[in-house]
Amino acid sequence: MAADTVRGARKAGRYALLVAVSAVVLFPIWAVLMQALKSGPDSLDHPRSLLPVDLTFGTIRAAWDQGDLGRLLLNSMFVSVMVTIGVVITSLLAAYAFAFLQFPLKGPLFIAFLATMLVPGEVTVVINQKTADSLGWINSYQGLIVPSLASTFGVFLVRQMFLQLPRELREAASLDGVGHLRFLWEVAAPLSRPTLGALGLFTFLGTWNAYLWPSQVIRGDRAHETIQIGLERLKNSDISKINLVTGGLVVAALPIFVMLVLFQRQLVRGLTAGAVKG
Amino acid sequence: MKRRLRDIPWAVTMLVPSMALLAVWTVYPLVKAVQNGHLSCDSTGNRCTDAGWGQYKVVFLSNEFQHALLVSIKLALLTVPAGVVFGVGLAVLADKQLRAIGVFRTIFSSTVATSVAVASLVWFVLLQPQIGVLSDLFSGWFPVLKNPGLLNDHGTALSAVALSSIWANLGFTFIIVTAGLQSVPRELYESAYVDGAGSVRRFTDITLPMIMPSLLFVSIVLTTRALQSYGEIALLTGGGPNPQKSTTTIPYLIYGQNSIIHNNLQIKSAAAVLLFLISLVFAVVQFRGFEKRVHYGS
Amino acid sequence: MRRSSSRRSSSLFVLAALGLVAACSGGGSITNSGGTTTTAAAPGTGTPGTGAASTSAATTSTVPLDSLPGCPTDALASTTGTTTISFWHGMSGALNDELVKLTDAYNASQTKVKVKLVQGSYEQTADNYLQASQGNRPDLVQMPEYMVQSIIDTKSTVPVGKCIAASKFDTSAFLPSALAAYSTQGVQWSMPFNISNPVLFYNKKVFVAAGLDPNKPPQSLEELKADSQKIVSTGAAKYGIALESGFDSGGGWYVEQWFAKSEQFYLDGQNGRQARATKVLYNNQTGVDLLTYLQGLINDKLAVNVGDNSGSGYDNLLKMADAKEPAAMTINTSASLGPVLEVLKGGQFPQLTADDVGVGPMPGPDGKPGALIGGASLWVVNSGSDAKTAAAWDYLTYLVAAQQQSEWASTTGYIPVRTDATTLDPYKTTLATDPRFSVAFDQLKASPDAPTSAGPVVGPLREVRSVLATAVAAILNGADVKKSLDNAANQANALITDYNNRNG
Repeated sequence: MAADTVRGARKAGRYALLVAVSAVVLFPIWAVLMQALKSGPDSLDHPRSLLPVDLTFGTIRAAWDQGDLGRLLLNSMFVSVMVTIGVVITSLLAAYAFAFLQFPLKGPLFIAFLATMLVPGEVTVVINQKTADSLGWINSYQGLIVPSLASTFGVFLVRQMFLQLPRELREAASLDGVGHLRFLWEVAAPLSRPTLGALGLFTFLGTWNAYLWPSQVIRGDRAHETIQIGLERLKNSDISKINLVTGGLVVAALPIFVMLVLFQRQLVRGLTAGAVKG
Repeated sequence: MKRRLRDIPWAVTMLVPSMALLAVWTVYPLVKAVQNGHLSCDSTGNRCTDAGWGQYKVVFLSNEFQHALLVSIKLALLTVPAGVVFGVGLAVLADKQLRAIGVFRTIFSSTVATSVAVASLVWFVLLQPQIGVLSDLFSGWFPVLKNPGLLNDHGTALSAVALSSIWANLGFTFIIVTAGLQSVPRELYESAYVDGAGSVRRFTDITLPMIMPSLLFVSIVLTTRALQSYGEIALLTGGGPNPQKSTTTIPYLIYGQNSIIHNNLQIKSAAAVLLFLISLVFAVVQFRGFEKRVHYGS
Repeated sequence: MRRSSSRRSSSLFVLAALGLVAACSGGGSITNSGGTTTTAAAPGTGTPGTGAASTSAATTSTVPLDSLPGCPTDALASTTGTTTISFWHGMSGALNDELVKLTDAYNASQTKVKVKLVQGSYEQTADNYLQASQGNRPDLVQMPEYMVQSIIDTKSTVPVGKCIAASKFDTSAFLPSALAAYSTQGVQWSMPFNISNPVLFYNKKVFVAAGLDPNKPPQSLEELKADSQKIVSTGAAKYGIALESGFDSGGGWYVEQWFAKSEQFYLDGQNGRQARATKVLYNNQTGVDLLTYLQGLINDKLAVNVGDNSGSGYDNLLKMADAKEPAAMTINTSASLGPVLEVLKGGQFPQLTADDVGVGPMPGPDGKPGALIGGASLWVVNSGSDAKTAAAWDYLTYLVAAQQQSEWASTTGYIPVRTDATTLDPYKTTLATDPRFSVAFDQLKASPDAPTSAGPVVGPLREVRSVLATAVAAILNGADVKKSLDNAANQANALITDYNNRNG
């Protein structure tokens, strides 16, 4: 009886703590959401009320129209999907070579591959921006997509997966006369689906959320701007548009939050797979 | 032997896409930056003279670079330990089989999906000194929120950026640490419980050692992110406040719009190469740590 | 065992990090890099206390026009079909909306030329232009006033003076000072498009509450101080004025304005217009007096420093609308007048309405009116295509025509580049119904007819302003005025020397 009460109190205490901590974690999002969902005068009243009353979509609609956010969402979507497909394909191919093929200098070549992971993007952007300029890729989809199409991490991850597949599979297949591409496409890739899913989700999120490279390669052209860069433009609007950025934030964050809820398991797998990489 | 040769055409075909892309967008820029770093050119980059390798030394020893290095390290020290502690706290709190715990887990991981731009601008809106909600609610207790504002005060600006980063990284840390916690065999706890170990002892003697690999991984990632932080600086402070330029990290020094070298490609290249070398030093040190852990852990 | 090892490794990495820093303390400035500029950093190169008269102006030089690319303004006549040109500009928010409107009307009015707009901030546009290779540059670009020398040195544009001559374009209605601002060494490089200068924004309600005349804003710095004292002592507002230190406002541009108001040069070479400037002059007595005055306002709690304004550009304006601790006045670019009135009309700030806002000339050292041309101008880019050059010129002349300038000025707060725009609607009506829109125009027209009324031009003017802004920020936080200005001057001079060595 007493033990039950203690356990019950503990449980209630933990719930109270969970709720309190959740409130702190969610407060920034909630406060911005309330500012975005209230009309101009209400959104900045003093003292500030964070209660969800008198809500309106005016700010979000204004941000949508003036920031051209529909277009920017499509741009982000297109670029992220293309990069994701590209990374999965290039990773599959290179990983296959490293896992199933025999060729001279395989070891050193793999080390060289891994070594490129040591070069952070923050270092290469200086010159890549010049390269994109000389290719005429400033303000273009190519500029956003092509430099991200290869992923050393992806190659590594998929190779690890391939190495776990029984070697007899490949041997049996080649006795049956199954070529490399068919084996890759019909056997190896389907068996690695969870890894590929995690890699794809990870790549998608990384591309969607990227900031530095898009900010250097998209220079004022709204037709090709991603949503992240559009947010910066909303922030830098003049004083008459002071609240638009809150509307833009809601629009930019929403699709990703939906994805988070839908693909939480894959995301966790992707992140913890990253932990293996070290 | 025959097999090795027969596979070559396939290997080449399969490796070429990745290799070509990495060569053009990762290796070439590094080589080119190293080469650029000792030139001195006019603003269009057409007329150049060789400034010598000494230019790297001048850049490295310059007050601006040293300051940026210090800011980057400070940012790492502000974000990494706090980020790990909060992540562990959340993970331990949510590591119980309770009804609706999934909801709380989703909430705690929610910031993993926020981009650097979204997270930074959320805090930019919250921290606005005149009309921001934090200033409105709390400036009575913390006058700095209004005058001059957390992001505008030399003493608090970097901490405010760190706050935004810690919040943005919370979801990631939570997910990794939770995965670490779930891999701890339950029997260990049970036997410790039988031995009469209290919850604190159980945490320090069992949980902490068992999740050390996760913590190490989290710290490595958070350190890397701190050293490479650009977006949060560009969006929150623009490297300021002046005159101390309290939040000018190395990436901001290279790419920032308010950076004094923003249109000097050669100095930018030199600084980027130095950033690479510094990242390399950190990578090696971290790898050493990782190696050691693997050694003791196995 | 495990714990101690990882603790060792993490402390190792912190140590390694700190070791990196400790091993190499005490260096020069990063801007002193480059083999040729080692002498630039020598301290004491500034000559404090020298005014305009004693400036050793180098020999006047003029650029031979024949050496510059030509402007075939009639090339459009021989084209068939549509010539598409791109125009990079730095207008954001409501200013962008208005430019889009004007451009849409232009594109719809004819079929020969189609203009594609590419928008960034001024700084972005400038960086984009400098970082792009010649083939990837636009056909027309808008550049803020601080980029003049820097763009000249790219040798990538067609001077509009040549277009004016080729098409016999009539500039008689233009403000002479506006044209002069974009001409150096005898060449009209670009065409003024949007002119602004700093004006005083003030809260009339607070003026009334403090017992001041709401229609008599302070003209001189002394009056500004006296009015602030009255506002603070009566409790009408917490602060008299909100100051800030953004490089293109309180930290740099305004200081240039105050120098011009004092009829002092800011750079040698007559502000860099007669010959390439080699050093800044702002650490002279004029500069020291000015910054000492501003620091005094902060020390006496008459002013509040809102910090670096260049991020948003309106922190100081928001301080006027602050519900808790407002300031009664601030200085801001006249270009913000339209957007400010628009946001206040939206009712977002109940404590400050659009009608409460008064506008006065920027208070100066002795109350004399006058201002430098700020804002931006249009540069015709040498694209190598005669048709595109002609198309850019055609669109440019549309933007600076009297009717478009009238529309542009009435919605934005910019000053029209030509006087005849004031006789046309909608600007004519705006001026008649809202005199606040004429303050910047009147102040500009009242500028003294002196060589100091053409502002400074030097290659790294943006960086020079940044350096000064850093010093101004330090001074507003209480640093020694003279020492801070001297330091900034040394750093700025090193920047100029380095730039001139690379580009001269």
